[in-house]
Amino acid sequence: MSPLVRGAIEAAGLADVLEARLRGAAPDGAIGRLREADLLVLGALADCIRAREAGDEVRIYIREPPAAQAPQAPPQGERELTGSDLLREIALRRIAGPPNAPVRVDWTRCGLELAQVALCFGADELAGTIATKRGELIAEGDLLGVGKKSRHESAREIKRKELAACVRRSGRVPVFVRSDAGVEGEEIS
Amino acid sequence: MTLDAIAERVRRGERLTPEDGIVLFHHPDPVAVGQLANEVRERLHADRTYFNRNMRVEVTNVCVASCLFCSFAKLEEGAPGAHTMTLEEAWRELEIRMDDPPGEIHIVNGLHPGLDFSYYEELLSGFKRIKPDVHLKCFTAVEIHFFACHYGMSYEQVLRRLLAAGLDSLPGGGAEIFHPEVRSRIAHDKATADEYLEVHRVAHGLGMRTNATMLYGHIETFEHRVDHLMRLRALQDETGGLQAFIPLAFHPDGNGMRNLPPPTAIDALRTTAVSRLLLDNVPHVKAYWVSMTPEVAQIALRFGADDIDGTIVHETIYRSAGSRSPGALSTAQLVRLIQEAGRVPVERDTFYRTICEHPRAAVPEAAVKVRDRKSRKHLEVLS
Repeated sequence: MSPLVRGAIEAAGLADVLEARLRGAAPDGAIGRLREADLLVLGALADCIRAREAGDEVRIYIREPPAAQAPQAPPQGERELTGSDLLREIALRRIAGPPNAPVRVDWTRCGLELAQVALCFGADELAGTIATKRGELIAEGDLLGVGKKSRHESAREIKRKELAACVRRSGRVPVFVRSDAGVEGEEIS
Repeated sequence: MTLDAIAERVRRGERLTPEDGIVLFHHPDPVAVGQLANEVRERLHADRTYFNRNMRVEVTNVCVASCLFCSFAKLEEGAPGAHTMTLEEAWRELEIRMDDPPGEIHIVNGLHPGLDFSYYEELLSGFKRIKPDVHLKCFTAVEIHFFACHYGMSYEQVLRRLLAAGLDSLPGGGAEIFHPEVRSRIAHDKATADEYLEVHRVAHGLGMRTNATMLYGHIETFEHRVDHLMRLRALQDETGGLQAFIPLAFHPDGNGMRNLPPPTAIDALRTTAVSRLLLDNVPHVKAYWVSMTPEVAQIALRFGADDIDGTIVHETIYRSAGSRSPGALSTAQLVRLIQEAGRVPVERDTFYRTICEHPRAAVPEAAVKVRDRKSRKHLEVLS
């Protein structure tokens, strides 16, 4: 951890939370301070804990959408969670949640942009369906591609590559996981 | 040079070097870079975060230039999708909104070879007739350069005639990437970097204020971005006429670089932060929500940006390139985005004079409920 980051955490009065968490202890009584903390300090704190507990791998779960179902919009009311709220929530889960529990973000609901940023705020798993950026689901066998490669590539494969690139461009290592059976952790969307 | 050494220099008020810029772009911790940019942002503006009540008008998409990144332009009148508004159609865009009128009209167009210069003069004077106090922020430096070449005038002559017709300031579009290694490939047949900067220099000399942009996330390198920012910083040292810098994320749909991935959100946030740190003499850095989505723009308010642009109302350039952002945001939505980022919303005019300062914490009840619900979950986790 750089002195810049450590200094910010100390200045925010959260050094004890970091020390406790790195010892594997729960930051008892700190939830109020955490909720009041500056978003980026919270993110830096969560990212330190994530790096220690989960390393650089980002597990990616691709869900199969229900057959013949239109893309699902988040239920009314769920949209109330803004980008800042989402990141704060993710950071809090990493800092105040059970040690070593994965923190997963659903890119189908919050968008891949925010999901990528969430990787810097304590998240270590991504989940969602393969869809176009307008939310239209991509079926097995659909072809995509541009220019000379137009409609010569599997659309799902292209999207998988985009997901992997998105994770790599956040400085992390993508790992696609076939089944999420047995994984414990809370999902945030 | 480490981030901590750069931070020390930023805190001492020392100017960063191009090499520092490269380090910041490559640094593995974008949140730490954002924290440093946020320090500068809060030193300059505290929690005040600006927006305005503006309206975009694009009167023509007919354009003789063939920029690789553009999904908006049509090469000639009559081509599928080509459009040029009559003056009456353009003025109507304002007339129909006079019950809640914009304070600023922001006009950006294609480089249309078939219109008389008087079209543009009448366009401006017509808007002023409808609403005399509306601020007209119109025509990029690339358009001004085109007008000068096409109609046989100097930059100063073009600007003086447009000022006489009602022009108030210039927007920042058309900068793209200044470095010739990139510009010659993506925008070879329009104003060069030197010409773009010269138009701004002349405008500043006439007492005008302008903005500047950078289109990032395509074929350029971090070195090209830093070079771009350094050229703008040098211009600002010379003239002091730039009000705001706006990093614009490249969108690939429907243009000549559609095989490239768009820049990611982390890149957008990092670029905002580095811009804030390198452009120590430009007062404002915008998080242009049309380019980076409202959600990411809100987060950028913690990464060095102090302005989220405005209501926009009707934007087609980014939407042509696949932007998923909504076409417009209401002032209430902008206020809420800013408040929920923990900032103080300030409605401004184009010159950043305060029109209305909103309260800090008037978060809508619905958002509070969501937060409370989520926090209860946390408390359950802890117990």
